[in-house]
Amino acid sequence: MRLLVIEDEPVLREMLATRFRAAGFVVDAAADGNEGEYFGREYPIDVAVVDLGLPGRSGLDAIRAWRAAGHGFPVLILTARDGWQEKVAGLDAGADDYVTKPFQFEEVLARVQALLRRSAGWAQPLLTCGDLELDTRAQEVRVAGRPVELTAFEYRLLEYLVLRAGQVVSKSELTEKLYEQDFERDSNTIEVFIGRLRRKLDPTGTRQPIETLRGRGYRVQRPAP
Amino acid sequence: MTRAAASLRARVLVTLALLLLIAAGGATWALDTLYRDLGLRGRREVLEAQVVALIAAAEADAQGRLVPADIADARLATPGSGLYAAISGGTAPWRSPSMVGTGLEFSARPAPGERRFEDLRLADGSRVLALSFGTRWTTATGGAQDYSIHAAENLEPWYAAMARMRARLVAGALLLAGLLLAGLQLALRFAMRPLRRLEAELAGIEHGRRELLGGEWPRELAGITGNLNALLAGERGRLERYRTTLGNLAHSLKTPLAALGGLSEAAPPEQQQALAPHLQRMQEIIRHQLRRAVLGGAGPTLADLAIGEPLEQLRQALGKVYAERRPRITLRVAADAAYPIDAGDFLELAGNLLDNACKYGHGEVVLRAGPWRQPEWRRPGLILEVEDNGPGIAAAERERVLQRGTRADESVEGQGLGLAVAREIATACGGTLEIGATPAGGARIEVRLPGR
Repeated sequence: MRLLVIEDEPVLREMLATRFRAAGFVVDAAADGNEGEYFGREYPIDVAVVDLGLPGRSGLDAIRAWRAAGHGFPVLILTARDGWQEKVAGLDAGADDYVTKPFQFEEVLARVQALLRRSAGWAQPLLTCGDLELDTRAQEVRVAGRPVELTAFEYRLLEYLVLRAGQVVSKSELTEKLYEQDFERDSNTIEVFIGRLRRKLDPTGTRQPIETLRGRGYRVQRPAP
Repeated sequence: MTRAAASLRARVLVTLALLLLIAAGGATWALDTLYRDLGLRGRREVLEAQVVALIAAAEADAQGRLVPADIADARLATPGSGLYAAISGGTAPWRSPSMVGTGLEFSARPAPGERRFEDLRLADGSRVLALSFGTRWTTATGGAQDYSIHAAENLEPWYAAMARMRARLVAGALLLAGLLLAGLQLALRFAMRPLRRLEAELAGIEHGRRELLGGEWPRELAGITGNLNALLAGERGRLERYRTTLGNLAHSLKTPLAALGGLSEAAPPEQQQALAPHLQRMQEIIRHQLRRAVLGGAGPTLADLAIGEPLEQLRQALGKVYAERRPRITLRVAADAAYPIDAGDFLELAGNLLDNACKYGHGEVVLRAGPWRQPEWRRPGLILEVEDNGPGIAAAERERVLQRGTRADESVEGQGLGLAVAREIATACGGTLEIGATPAGGARIEVRLPGR
């Protein structure tokens, strides 16, 4: 998941970036509204965390600009002014949720995960595709009730595919969303990880939870509603 | 401007009307008296002239009677003419032919050289002024004989003229007073026009139709209006500056606080535990004190806020925040629901109530808002009711819930902080917040903000 942080306070920005990276996100961090607005416009962002009290261009402006340009990724606002006036202004500008400062990182992470899930069309934190279960809060995976141990990267890969269940996700999209920009990108790595994931989820090769569509990408079947 | 004090216009009009009535009455009375005195003097002079003429024309005859040789005034010869004369004394009296049938009797016999005026009446009741003059006549035989010469005039025609005159005088005075009052009314209306405009513009400010008093004012009012404008602008500006400054202060304190919190997470657990309560406490002090400081309350300089739009904004905002639970927020807002409250305060009040209902209810939230009218208020207050279908707040808990977070050193987790904030705002507006229960057992919060 690719996450954009716009926060002018360096300590806070670093803290958020580090903790989000540790939680498996690919993080772009911006120190002011202009840079942040540019990142949101030009990078394939999945979710943004925006401080409202920014120098230069305000966070509200950046959100409005994204929405006007047709970018629909969820936005969580951080506000130091914990009045409803600021919250309403932010939500009205196009943000989807808020956290007031000072905050616990866990709170921000939980809100971001909920936003990602909701924007992908999942109402519950427990994602279920057939007998595959993904608990996005605990970051646990079960197949037919049996826990499956995954590495952090494997989990992120699977979560990305399950959140977009029913859609075809290309290899290049996966590299963009799962790797930092300056990491080496090699589509073969993705294939390797998909292969490992399949063996862990389906050791017998009977369920086939991840389809391969040749030349197009991968797909997890969306459960029938 | 209290209602008990009479209006300036009424004061001036009543005072001037009384003064005018006294002046007109006095003038009428004085004129009437003057005219009457002058008239009576004229009547007396007529009688004296008649008496002198009679004496000049009188001659004593052989029988000892004194008779006028000829009657100079034709009226004395005409019966019922209203002018009468007689000479009494001697052997027999003489009467003018005009006295025939009038029943007039002269009884006065003044001493020689003396004159006496009398009010007499004719047989038909007509008032008559009579003059009797005593005279001593030396006869041809050398003796002396006393006579009384009488003249009288019927005053009824003169009284009638007096009455007509008086009626005209009173009518004239009343007409004059009426015209003056009407003129005064116009003058007052003209003079009071700036005051009335001031009243209208102040009402406009009260109802939020305008921000300041506009335009040119007469010299007597310019001081007041200038000061009022300065006061209004000053208060608005000051409130705005407070809020901006405090908002900036909050931001510049809380962001480093959040950073401190983040940094402390990297510290060993025992240090984290030592730091946490201090950070928490700082956070609460900042939140609580800054919120108190910016509370605007309901002031006379605030414009009426139409609450429909902010409520709809809140409904949509909460729909996003609680997207997970898909709450159904129903707004039942009277079309004329408006209240002079700062927009930020209102969002804070209603936002906390709705947020609480979304958080602790089970997805059904109803907000009702409408004017609160009392006969003694010129402008209505506002009633807000928020109901949810959650478990409600136990009666024993209610007071404690409202106390939450009002002291900076208390823990503020859980239900109620929002309600405590909402009550602070309601109190700042002079209103109340009551926690109750719906028939189904959910929480029911009623906020009443008084009118003015």
